[in-house]
Amino acid sequence: MHISDGILKPEWVFFWFAISTIFIALGLRIINKRIKEDPVYLPRIALLGAVVFVISVWHIPVPVTGSSSHPVGTPMASIIIGPFATVVISAIALFFQSFVAHGGLTTIGANTFSMGIVGTFGGYFTYRLFKNISPLWFSAGMAGLVGSILTYMTTALELALSLNPGNVMHYWKLYSLGFIPTQLPLAFAEFAFTAYVIKYIHDTGSMEKIAVSCPLDRFTKTALLLMVSIISIIAIGAYAGYLDGAKMAGTDGIVEAQAAPLASPDGIGIRLMALLGEPLGFAMVGITGGLFTGYFLSDLRRRN
Amino acid sequence: MPGWLSGDPLNGIIITVAFFISVIIGKYIRMKRTASGFRGKSIDQRIKLFVLFFLIISITLMTHWYIPIGISMVCILISIRANKFGDYSRKLVFPLVLSLFIIVIQGLTYGSTKIDLGIISVYKEGFEYGFLIFSRVFAATSLIILMLSTTCETDILDAMRWYRIPTVVIDISSLMIRYIKAFSTESRKMKQAQESRCGFSRSCGFREKMHNIASISGALIGRAFTRAEQVYRAMVSRCWKHDQSDMLGHRPLNNSDMLLGFALSAGIIILLGIDRAL
Repeated sequence: MHISDGILKPEWVFFWFAISTIFIALGLRIINKRIKEDPVYLPRIALLGAVVFVISVWHIPVPVTGSSSHPVGTPMASIIIGPFATVVISAIALFFQSFVAHGGLTTIGANTFSMGIVGTFGGYFTYRLFKNISPLWFSAGMAGLVGSILTYMTTALELALSLNPGNVMHYWKLYSLGFIPTQLPLAFAEFAFTAYVIKYIHDTGSMEKIAVSCPLDRFTKTALLLMVSIISIIAIGAYAGYLDGAKMAGTDGIVEAQAAPLASPDGIGIRLMALLGEPLGFAMVGITGGLFTGYFLSDLRRRN
Repeated sequence: MPGWLSGDPLNGIIITVAFFISVIIGKYIRMKRTASGFRGKSIDQRIKLFVLFFLIISITLMTHWYIPIGISMVCILISIRANKFGDYSRKLVFPLVLSLFIIVIQGLTYGSTKIDLGIISVYKEGFEYGFLIFSRVFAATSLIILMLSTTCETDILDAMRWYRIPTVVIDISSLMIRYIKAFSTESRKMKQAQESRCGFSRSCGFREKMHNIASISGALIGRAFTRAEQVYRAMVSRCWKHDQSDMLGHRPLNNSDMLLGFALSAGIIILLGIDRAL
């Protein structure tokens, strides 16, 4: 999964660094807070970092993608020490792995995003989803399986976005397919490994001693879960549309035909979009709406 | 009779004179340095780290393969000179194999101008793009391997501290370096112990083997957590503090190191300019 230096274009190097930095900063904040409460937390996460390093350093080359396959270990770490701390330790593990020419320095952001963020949160949410409805070993195993597969799909997307920006969907599919022969058996091995390890730690009574719950309140968890669910639905829908022959050109045509006659050409929305460009414009709309909803939602609920 | 010899002797004379005078000067400098016990000045790790990152970013910006391949050749020469070629080449194999695959995939799938090779045909644009990526990976990986074979991890962490990387990251990293080695040694020992109890015999199926590996890993993690706590308490009892940035201080960068940093950065920018001008 590790992408070497020189493969990604500089704009993508900085883009993945920017996204990963946000998650790493959040992780550091949580780690610092926890260390103040319990100083022994520091060697614990360092140890889990060593575990992630050792697990993810065994790799086999993947011919089609120009990358490698290996177990990720981050879903297991997220179950034990929480997802945000896992993002930080996976970034550090990736930094040390670049010392052995596995991955690279400029691609730490991209590799952290796939292994440390998508793999970790994908695995962690799967674990939480299955935890109450299935045995512990199964939920932990599913976390390993889903985390591993999501990591590789994200790596394939990163490669497609940077190497072949003109035909992303085709190359994403090609790179994802390239990972299957090596990654699918490894993902099942990771299922078994994570399931057995978590079960063993639980059975020996160490789980209560070492596991750390995710320090997020219910509201944040629900919001994150909703975000992941909606993004998954959009991604699945987009992929289904692509398989059906859609050109992924967006819905501008439909919007223009249906809504443009009613819209004021000098309206703030159109002016904002012209000023910021579409992606930033949508981000601004999301931020404004989200802040407004988040600020007043608890007040509304209290009144109800 | 070659044309340059019979018709234009001036260039031949100039190159011959320049070459041999340079050989004599080079030999003289070498003798003088050996006599005075000069062993070469090691570059400050902070400058090394900055230049490395800057150079790798610049390599990814390059649009021709000439300069990255040139950098790779220089790295090979340095590794031979430093008696590190064996280690260098061993670490280089994996990234190079992966980037060769990129040449193949891009050559087979990307572009419009077909080149017929008999059995298969490849695309010219894809092949060129793949080779550019190959050259970038070759250069960047060579630089990292060389840098890390000449700098120890603690020096790199010290340089990171100087660059104001959060203290908690440095602390986790320094503990991780220690634990990775301890963890690898301990896991090997436990695997051998399990093997001596026929834990990994050939008659074992996937399920049993996975059960064995996971039991070892689970026990190792559980045991290591306890050990990590003990080690941490021992460190604290010897006055180790979580945030040591104020205690350690930093050696200031001297003028010659700063000058070297500027010169190398300027050199990188010139290389980038040459690449764009080509």
